[in-house]
Amino acid sequence: MNSRQMFLDQLRAGLKGLPRSVVEDILSEYTAHFDDGHTAGRSDSAIASALGDPARLARELRAEAGLRRWEDERSLSNALGAIVGVLGLAALDMLVVLPVLMTVASVDIAFFIAGGCICLAGSLLLPLALVNLIPGFEGDWLQGVLISLGMASGGASVVAVCVLFTLGIINLLVRYGRAHYRLIVRATPS
Amino acid sequence: MEPNLIQFRKGVLELCVLALLSQADSYGYDIASRLSETIDMGEGTIYPLMRRMQKDGLVSTYFVESSSGPPRKYYTLTENGRQSLNRQNAAWTAFTKAVASILGQRDTPSATPAPHGSTTLTVQKA
Repeated sequence: MNSRQMFLDQLRAGLKGLPRSVVEDILSEYTAHFDDGHTAGRSDSAIASALGDPARLARELRAEAGLRRWEDERSLSNALGAIVGVLGLAALDMLVVLPVLMTVASVDIAFFIAGGCICLAGSLLLPLALVNLIPGFEGDWLQGVLISLGMASGGASVVAVCVLFTLGIINLLVRYGRAHYRLIVRATPS
Repeated sequence: MEPNLIQFRKGVLELCVLALLSQADSYGYDIASRLSETIDMGEGTIYPLMRRMQKDGLVSTYFVESSSGPPRKYYTLTENGRQSLNRQNAAWTAFTKAVASILGQRDTPSATPAPHGSTTLTVQKA
């Protein structure tokens, strides 16, 4: 197999998972590049080695596509896509970043769950407090109502803060990914 | 290779592409080969960059029928791209001037004793 076909095949393999039209568009760009290089009198293998490692190019293109989808539409699957893209991009740096990220994420999730529970408990207690029927509660009616109201709204704000925090972290990751693009280093084609 | 050099190139790549396109519209192979001659970058990286710049609205594309093979995709600067070029150009010029003046100060014997300066340099390189 010649180096041109090998480059294009590896690129296609690396782009798996992107929409078909995008993959075809990208491949046609690189095909045109080979054609132009050929016209300029360069050999396929010279063009391929000047282009760089197709697997890494594919990672960059995928990561960019993932980040872009997240910026266009904030949804859970797009957030995951962006994170996976960034992880794939900077695998080595991630050895350092990942433990930190995991810790932050688990604390975030813990607060989220705790906030949700407190909010739920407060909301369940409120109707009972209104009719002064909380089991085992010694205070008067006003105290009961205020405590359950406080729990419901306090829990809700913890949840809200967690959501904002999560959004912030994902945006930070997006910027991290951009800053760490290995755009220039010339890789040895594998 | 000096590791900082990679970061330097990364930083100015977009500026260089904008500057090339401000002279004339161009297509992928042409941009890649001209930039790889001057700033020694992997030619393949131009395509991810062009996609990003297109999505950022800095460049737009159109197709031109070619005598051989399929139509060729040309890139042209948008108004946004032109403004970005002006901003980046100004920032780059101011920045390099500032850095050059600092580097220049260190080289002048009156500011720092020359032997001292050169030993520091060697140590850093080694």
